[in-house]
Amino acid sequence: MSGTFLPLIAVLLLIAAFLRGGFALTLIYLVVGALAAGLWWSRRAVTKLETKRRFNGHAFLGERVTVDLHVQNKGWLPIPWLELRETLPVALVGPNSFQSVIHLGPHGQAHFEYAVDARKRGYYPIGPLAMTTGDLLGLSDSLVMQSPAEALVVYPRIIPFTSMEIPSQSPQGTLRHRLPLFEDPTRAFGKRGYTSGDSLRRIDWKSSATSGRLQVKLFEPSIALETCLILNLHTEDYYYRSRIDSSELAIVIAASIANWIVAKKQRVGLLVNGHDLLMADGKPQFVPPRKGKRHLMQVLETLARVELTESAKLGPLIQQQRYHLPWGTTLILISGMVDEQVLDELYQARRAGQNSLVILAGRDAADMTIQQRARVLGIQVYSIATERDLSVWTQAVRHA
Amino acid sequence: MNSGATRTHFRRIGYLLVFLMAASGSLTVQAIFRSALPDWHAGIIAAVMVFIVADRLFTYRGLKDLTPFSSEWLLAIGAQWLMILIVLRLLLSYANGLDAFLSDLAQINRGSLAHLFTAEFVVSFLLAMLAWYLTGEFLGLLDLIGLEQELASSEETALIRSDLVPARQRLVSLIFGLGIVLVVLTGLARVNLRTVVPSINGESPLELNRLSGGEAGALLYFAFGLALLSLSRLMSLQTRWNRQRIPVSSGNLARQWALYSLVFLFLLAMIVSLLPAGDSLGFFSLLGTLISFLAAILFFIGQLILMLVSLLFSLPFLLLRGEPVGAVSPPPPLPTMPPVAPSAPAPGNELWELIRSILLWGVVLAIVAFAVIQFVRQHGGLREALRQSRITNWLLIAWQWLYRNAGTTGESLSRAISEGWKNISSRLESRRTLAAGPLLRLRSLDPRRQVYFYYLAMIRRGGEQGVPRKTSQTPAEYAAALEKAIPSAEDDIGSLTDAFVEARYSRRDVDATKANVVKETWARIRRAMQSTSNKE
Repeated sequence: MSGTFLPLIAVLLLIAAFLRGGFALTLIYLVVGALAAGLWWSRRAVTKLETKRRFNGHAFLGERVTVDLHVQNKGWLPIPWLELRETLPVALVGPNSFQSVIHLGPHGQAHFEYAVDARKRGYYPIGPLAMTTGDLLGLSDSLVMQSPAEALVVYPRIIPFTSMEIPSQSPQGTLRHRLPLFEDPTRAFGKRGYTSGDSLRRIDWKSSATSGRLQVKLFEPSIALETCLILNLHTEDYYYRSRIDSSELAIVIAASIANWIVAKKQRVGLLVNGHDLLMADGKPQFVPPRKGKRHLMQVLETLARVELTESAKLGPLIQQQRYHLPWGTTLILISGMVDEQVLDELYQARRAGQNSLVILAGRDAADMTIQQRARVLGIQVYSIATERDLSVWTQAVRHA
Repeated sequence: MNSGATRTHFRRIGYLLVFLMAASGSLTVQAIFRSALPDWHAGIIAAVMVFIVADRLFTYRGLKDLTPFSSEWLLAIGAQWLMILIVLRLLLSYANGLDAFLSDLAQINRGSLAHLFTAEFVVSFLLAMLAWYLTGEFLGLLDLIGLEQELASSEETALIRSDLVPARQRLVSLIFGLGIVLVVLTGLARVNLRTVVPSINGESPLELNRLSGGEAGALLYFAFGLALLSLSRLMSLQTRWNRQRIPVSSGNLARQWALYSLVFLFLLAMIVSLLPAGDSLGFFSLLGTLISFLAAILFFIGQLILMLVSLLFSLPFLLLRGEPVGAVSPPPPLPTMPPVAPSAPAPGNELWELIRSILLWGVVLAIVAFAVIQFVRQHGGLREALRQSRITNWLLIAWQWLYRNAGTTGESLSRAISEGWKNISSRLESRRTLAAGPLLRLRSLDPRRQVYFYYLAMIRRGGEQGVPRKTSQTPAEYAAALEKAIPSAEDDIGSLTDAFVEARYSRRDVDATKANVVKETWARIRRAMQSTSNKE
């Protein structure tokens, strides 16, 4: 648009020179002044714009997140028009993104509120907010300014498990166990009369003195369920027709197990080979086993972000990480398919004192050969085709 | 405020700004003419340009719906331009005084139209065309930018599909292009051309005239142009927001925009007027120049209306050959006629002159009447406004009162007409200029009209035979009455009547054969009538 001015100003300059100033000079002042003042106004006003976005950055699936957007003009110059366009993920808002046109007076402000629906697990940017403005006369090009995007994490679906049998060889934990092998001397639950063969260490001397007969303590057997979830998100390990659904199911299983374990006040860690949107190299960080809700959120956040990858094979990753896990840790592998190398790694882990469990997710996961092979190696295998199949772990607690 | 009301406001403001720009441009044109051609009627030319711009603004929406070069379009444009031509010519004549005006009318009376096409008239006409065209261009671009949503949307689509320049950019180019032309012309008008030649010889430096209204016009043109740019910017943004369905959260955005634009332009004008620019004009003197220019145009139009009203009131008295009531000025002196040729005109030439005069004035009056009717039709709103106006109603009542009270007007008029007709007849008879002959050439009529002719001939002759046709009688009833009087031609009367009814009321083709049959039938009826009258 500014190109239109050049011939005009050239002619005006010629005439001003010819007439020695006069009205042509006034016209030059007028035209150049309109252009320059318009440019200065819009550019100056834009620098005084400030935006704030307030929303809860974490949401569970199905929740509605309300975003408060605050736009303020901190300067004395009014902004005649300001076009706001918030870039929002299609998965959360569909085709209706937030956009509006406002004008802001001196020190004026505007407040907007819109909602996004957490329809799908993921890590979503809310924004950036593009703000377009310009001069009143339209003689210069519009100015576009962007305020940075902020993240919204939508956690994967969590199915509350009530009963799940995870093998463990860690004694003296907090979980009750059937085998007396795992009796916990800190968890005495009664006394009985001494019989031949009872260890002298188990005699309760106080009650023996009181009753006049030897009494031995009864200990509740318990285990410590330190678990590491290994989530395989290698694309080739999922059948191509149901790759998306199966991988999402695997993530749901992982999140649900993690939730269940944390609820049991046990340690849980996460090893995943997918693509993490937040990491520079795209590789998700290993989450070492920890307790507590905060740790669970960390695990869920990682699970919210990760996506299928084509580059990272799982076998080498297990090999690399299992040495860092303590003896007795249970490795729960969740995957679409399992190859020989992975089974071999799990077997090696078992031999090294760690437990292994394989959960095959997806409709095409019921591979009998893998199950037979795993059984030979002493590895328990579950096949979960749909979320409905998870009901085996949502029923009432069964004690054998 | 809904979008319809907003667009109405945009339209009004846009049209007003275009009008003000045109008025400023006319001011410059007037100054240029006044400087370069002092003998010409610069004020009249500028006033006509402003009037044409106002008329174009008024009729644009009605005319733009017509298909270009269709019969309706040609009719409307033709009528409009005919009116403009006549008004322009009359104004230029009137500007020279009443004597010159009557002299020009006399020239028209004598048929020497070439005399009227003066350089001043031609240039004025071309400028009027330019004003008409440019106003249309401005309005068309405003429609494309956003006044017409459908057009604006189609323009957006066209822009996406092709490399067309956006309408707003074209508007900017048009405003600045015209501005450059105005500035150049104003600059040239300031140069005292008489001093240019000596200055080239090195004898005297270039001399500049004093500041004139031309500069004020150019400056105001740019000021209003910037305001129009601001409006078009808002319109184009609104169009884009509507198309992309972006809601406007600030309800008073348009009002605030107007306020900011006014403040911006006012401050800009104030700053510019304070900056050193030699002998340039100040801000308020600029505004004063424009206002006085527009007031002068209004005063001129008022004078014209007053003249027409006084003429209207004088008409009944002129018809009665009395003194006009409330004459604004004493009767004008007789126009100075051009020198008459020494040789006396032949008696035959007098009659020819009379016929030519009647024909010329008849044609001129018919064209003017047609153009006026078309013009009034185009200005439907104006007619309604005039009907609702108290002043117009008062004038109409006054006219009717005058007409009623002038009792002898009709008699005098009829007497004048009959005397005039007798005069013409006596001249015709005495000179035997016109050869006696049939008034109607039957062969020139088409077959359908020939059937009409024979039927009417039958009625005429029937009337002469004592069977006149009553106005209430249908063809069949009249045929029955005539058959009673002339029973020998009963069948022929019936067949001629049937042929007439078919020709008159049906869409069937009437060929020459059928017309000949009717002719023969009529011949038989005529003979039967003659024999009946002979018997009587």
